Amino acid sequence: MNSLRLALAQIAPELGELGQNLERHHALLGEARGAGAGLIVFPELGLTGYLLQDLAAEVAMRLDDPRLTRLAKATSGMSAVVSFVEESADHRLFISAALLEDGAIRHVHRKLYLPTYGLFDERRFFAAGDSLRATPSRLGIGLGIAVCEDFWHLSVPALLALDGAQLLINVSSSPGRDLAATNEVGLGTASSWRSLMRTYAQLTTSFVVFCNRVGVDESISFWGGSEVIAPSGQAVLSAPLYDEGLFTVDIALADIRRERIALPLLRDERPELVVREFGRIVSERAGLADDTTAEAGSGPGLDSAPEPAR
Amino acid sequence: MSERTPAMDGAGGDQDRGFELPPELAIDTDVARRVMADFIRGQLRQAGFERAVLGLSGGIDSGLVAYLTAEAIGPERLLCVLMPYRTSSPASRSDAETVVERLGCASEVVDISPMVDPFFEGQREASALRRGNVMARMRMTVLYDRSVTWGGLVVGTGNKTEALIGYTTLFGDSACAFNPIGDLYKSQVRQVAAAIGVPDAIIRKAPSADLWPGQTDEAEAGFAYPELDRLLFWRIDKRRSTEELVAMGFDGAWIERVDRMVAGSEFKRQVPPVAKLGPRTAGVDYLYPRRRPGAARR
Repeated sequence: MNSLRLALAQIAPELGELGQNLERHHALLGEARGAGAGLIVFPELGLTGYLLQDLAAEVAMRLDDPRLTRLAKATSGMSAVVSFVEESADHRLFISAALLEDGAIRHVHRKLYLPTYGLFDERRFFAAGDSLRATPSRLGIGLGIAVCEDFWHLSVPALLALDGAQLLINVSSSPGRDLAATNEVGLGTASSWRSLMRTYAQLTTSFVVFCNRVGVDESISFWGGSEVIAPSGQAVLSAPLYDEGLFTVDIALADIRRERIALPLLRDERPELVVREFGRIVSERAGLADDTTAEAGSGPGLDSAPEPAR
Repeated sequence: MSERTPAMDGAGGDQDRGFELPPELAIDTDVARRVMADFIRGQLRQAGFERAVLGLSGGIDSGLVAYLTAEAIGPERLLCVLMPYRTSSPASRSDAETVVERLGCASEVVDISPMVDPFFEGQREASALRRGNVMARMRMTVLYDRSVTWGGLVVGTGNKTEALIGYTTLFGDSACAFNPIGDLYKSQVRQVAAAIGVPDAIIRKAPSADLWPGQTDEAEAGFAYPELDRLLFWRIDKRRSTEELVAMGFDGAWIERVDRMVAGSEFKRQVPPVAKLGPRTAGVDYLYPRRRPGAARR
């Protein structure tokens, strides 16, 4: 297998300025094409900005929106992952990431996990996706696309890899926080993500692409630090924190086979075991089966018994 | 990504540094400066402004914000307004002038005495609290007026410690278009100020609202900033219970007193509520970014 040139568009989208962001996407697509990239990845909500609140409905696009069609048209001979607010036919709004290839929309992933805690309020404004699929691509390998918080749930990279993804792509709008001098890069958020990406690459023996935006929406600053991690867990590209730019790297697709032969973790996965135990846990949590692992005295669906009141 | 050791400014210890920096509050000042510079530029750009104005007291908070703003947009786009009252300390004035000189930014001196004194004419009994509040609100008025003449947004200079305990004047010193240092504790303000080059004398002197001669924050409130910063950090940022804080060595009565100050000043940190009557109400179920597409001043 040959080498693939990846381009990561670590951009600062203008909040709510769909037209302006579309122009920027077209320009960067052209730039990536000129640089010989086979795949360009844009960050979460790169077409709209992140902190939209009630603007979400105003910048939403259906998948047949001519602006999206035009952007897809610009991908002949290459692949792009772009992200936007998708409006479904029944008028739900999703945070979506689409794989555009050879002029068409090849695959759409709707963000599954919408953080609604701490500084996040996504569930108020968006609907959560209901399915997770790896997708084949013109690149000759399976892709697994996920959005930001999706990767804070272990099952997502695991399912994508089992479903045939060899290149996992996470597009993010990750707000930087927890500035502590004790972190490796001075930013708690960055340390966490860096650990996650290396771990997923190693455990799924896949390439992992993390494309995070930069810039400022209201109070929050997005920290960039986009990365490409090889199946061995080694970083092959680490973009700078906070700087805007188009960052490219060549990856050797043969590394996937090499790693999977040397470390056959996926071969040894036990999906039938996982699905059986998940099935049991789901039944128990729904109170439909006796919970064999619960403490004595637990209520239906709970694993822990209440502490005696003091 | 740049792999580097965290920037532990003044790693030589509190003695060399000239101020106390509790270790759990130490931040990477390079990252902090980058975030705050991007924040300042982003806020101005989204609003369609290129310039900024701030009130420079001679203290460390406004001094740091002046440095940060100059670093973010260039000193030529910054107007620092010095607004002494007749009882303000001359040292504050000269410290503020040093900052202006070092930065090479525009400055203006507006003596607020002729605005404040007539306000209290015939009211000799007016308390220091009332006078202090009026002074703070006169300064706000001057800044918002200069915001028009200078064509710049008012940059806030309040820190996290004073905001949390409510040591601010509502619609006075807390009034601003945006605030780059509002999430930095006083100790962290000192750390970043040292890293960015705010003059040593300003970093080392006792913080003061400078409302009357010899006033200092710490004497007035009966606390030392590093200890208060630590308490607030563990209480609020790290969600520690009273029992856990006591086990860490904090005094129970003091924890209770600080808790009361924080709870009692919640209103100062929030936008005033509007009575909900219509279908969509600002701040309740009409929620937009402060700067919407097409909102920027052209």
